[in-house]
Amino acid sequence: MSIFRKLKEHVTDVLYVWRDEMKQVIRDEGVLMFLVVVPLAYPLLYSWIYNNETLHETPVVVVDQSHSALSRQFINDCDATPDVDVKYYAADLDEARALVSRQLAKGIYLIPSDFASRINRGEQATVSVYCDMSLMLAYKAVYQTAMVESARLGAGLKIKKAGNFTEHEDAITAQPLIAHDVAMFNPSGGYGSCVLPAVLMLLLQQALALGIGMSAGTARERHRNGQLIPDDDPHFKGAYRVVWGKALCYGMVGAVAAAYLSMAVPRMFSFPQLADGKTLLALLLPYTIACIFFGMTVSCLVRYRENVMLLMVFVSIPLLFLTGVSWPQSSIPGAWQGVSWLFPSTFGVRAFIRVNSMGASFSQILPEIRILWIQAAAYLGLACVVYSHQKRLARKYPRPNVEPVVTAEPVEQ
Amino acid sequence: MKYISQFFDIALRELNIIVRKNRIYGFCMVVFPVLLVLFFTTMLDEGLPQDLPIGVVDHDNSATSRGLIRNLDAMQNSRVMYHFTSVTEARNAMQEGKVFAYLYIPEGTAAKLMSGRQPNISYYYTMTCMTAGSMASKDLKTISMLGSAALGKATMSAKGASDEQIMAALQPVTIDAHMIANPQSSYNYALTTVFVPGILMLFMALLSAYALGMEMKFDTGKEWLARADGNILVAILGKYSVHALVFLLVIFTYQYYIFNVLHFPRLGGVWSIVRLTLLQVAASIGFGIFAFGLMPSLRMSMSISSLWMVLGISMSGSAFPVAGMDPPLQAMSWLFPLRHYWMIYQATVLNGFPVIDVWFHLVALVAFTLLPWFVLRKVKNAMLNYVYIP
Repeated sequence: MSIFRKLKEHVTDVLYVWRDEMKQVIRDEGVLMFLVVVPLAYPLLYSWIYNNETLHETPVVVVDQSHSALSRQFINDCDATPDVDVKYYAADLDEARALVSRQLAKGIYLIPSDFASRINRGEQATVSVYCDMSLMLAYKAVYQTAMVESARLGAGLKIKKAGNFTEHEDAITAQPLIAHDVAMFNPSGGYGSCVLPAVLMLLLQQALALGIGMSAGTARERHRNGQLIPDDDPHFKGAYRVVWGKALCYGMVGAVAAAYLSMAVPRMFSFPQLADGKTLLALLLPYTIACIFFGMTVSCLVRYRENVMLLMVFVSIPLLFLTGVSWPQSSIPGAWQGVSWLFPSTFGVRAFIRVNSMGASFSQILPEIRILWIQAAAYLGLACVVYSHQKRLARKYPRPNVEPVVTAEPVEQ
Repeated sequence: MKYISQFFDIALRELNIIVRKNRIYGFCMVVFPVLLVLFFTTMLDEGLPQDLPIGVVDHDNSATSRGLIRNLDAMQNSRVMYHFTSVTEARNAMQEGKVFAYLYIPEGTAAKLMSGRQPNISYYYTMTCMTAGSMASKDLKTISMLGSAALGKATMSAKGASDEQIMAALQPVTIDAHMIANPQSSYNYALTTVFVPGILMLFMALLSAYALGMEMKFDTGKEWLARADGNILVAILGKYSVHALVFLLVIFTYQYYIFNVLHFPRLGGVWSIVRLTLLQVAASIGFGIFAFGLMPSLRMSMSISSLWMVLGISMSGSAFPVAGMDPPLQAMSWLFPLRHYWMIYQATVLNGFPVIDVWFHLVALVAFTLLPWFVLRKVKNAMLNYVYIP
């Protein structure tokens, strides 16, 4: 056979597998759900959940035992902040505790009876803050508001005592050293802007892996030999051709999903979007390819397609943690850092956050891009290895006597 | 009597499937939960992130600025890893993910501080990782306050003021914080206790749908129903009693581990934990059976259960509170079992409040447990008449 005819046969086989797989994807509602519906609808739901970004007006109950002008000033100042809402006044701590117990307030400010007299005597006065620790964001709002407002009240008292002549002197008394507090890349400290880019990228990997895994499971059940690669179709002759053909099909789906997740969704919900087009492309190309071959490798490891779902759903939340978006990367124990290197999502998410939310340039995410290409190559190699193995299996067990789909006897349920 | 013997017959059959026939049950009921508990407890073992990498741009190079930097390095949550020559360099390092924050001290800071000309220092931190950003900002805020206090303290003690007078003059009003049930504000206590139960509930629902779907896939449902003489209620109770027992055992072990070995704080008693766990298991299994009853197909019911329960982890409001979401979402949060689990957990187990204050969440979990009642006939019909299509 001449080299050209051989090449032509190869290309025809690849194209045939591509078309065959595409038909399967469209026909199988389980696959369609994970490859199309989940990437389309899930990010919208998540964006909606986190769309309000920050928590405002956390309800707080005040126990004012001082009943003085100073205590009232402190309470008014706290109430005037965007973070805290003084919603209830209680006579004593027990009554306040009952309000927290009924989930009506998230914290208690207790102002002791000697609050004003201590200040007027020139002693240090104390406000007790009791925080419900079940919600970290609420705790921070309740505690930090008290800190900031007590410092402001203190600064006012200092100025009064200092007996300065000019406003400039007053400013120096209140704050001898000005510290500018600048939150970058997510200036409002929004929860959605922080978490959502990571969720979007992780979703791409999970949806592709789930879709590919389910499609492989369906193929096993459909083929009469019960294997991933059928023995009765001449186009499925070479394992590499099957890998390429299927990858082309998933690549089509993955490219659209990646573009939608990285560009359309953040725009719809006005999440940060500082990415430069070329850099984004340079990142998403290796990431999508790595995810596809990762999914194809995983799909060969499990026998029933339902098991892919159990596995991928199980790892999804831990994977989000391993990216370092909710728990800083520098605090992830070394062993888990090692595990995280196995998954494309770890580097895809990290690089995407930097490009998309922090406006990093290509050279700044180059290490991640390199690793993603290495992962893509490694998982391509692994996919070829496992598909060759599947091919051998298909040759070894060409036609089982029993129908693999519906067995009368549940040999292995 | 007849029902009881049928019940045990079916339970034994299910036990046989779980232990001998299908290894995936063993994985999902024991191996995965153990891995999950180990993952979260070791991952968040520090409680709060320690020694976050922080950069410094010191253009002042004075004793005061170096003192500030040393103070920053000594803070528990921060470590000064880099000294940059310019702000641009520091910002680049931040974009490369090397530092979470940097402190900029311009030239002349010490001189201005001494002569009372109000110098400016700035600290920049990234909020793309909120935990790291807010911790770093807290430390930087503290040292800048210390920086201005140091000057006042030196002046006053030179004038002969006592320590008490100095403290009262520098900080007239202090805050005495009581962080109930989590005094270290540890993320381990806050996150592990919602993610582990959340993913376990996901597995319970998923496996409940899976168990019914597999009966249909391998056409063993008829034999299963025959053992209960066609009584679907006995068949379901017998089948899921085994699931419930295994999961109860796993969850109690997990709770023993976190409360008695790792000493997670809790103000609620043992009974509050037992009550919550029973409801948690029953509601999750109920949800899984209901999902299968709605769509009697293995893959659809599993997809629905997993997508719903994963969404539940966000909708539980443990990270971003439900009160901060849009009103329609606040109403929808009632449809997620994990939301109710978490509300009862934080009220009765964590804070030790009386259960009557969260009775509506308790009722909701009971309602999830009873959901399968609506679909019993549909499940039976599916077992008898449906044919599995791949």
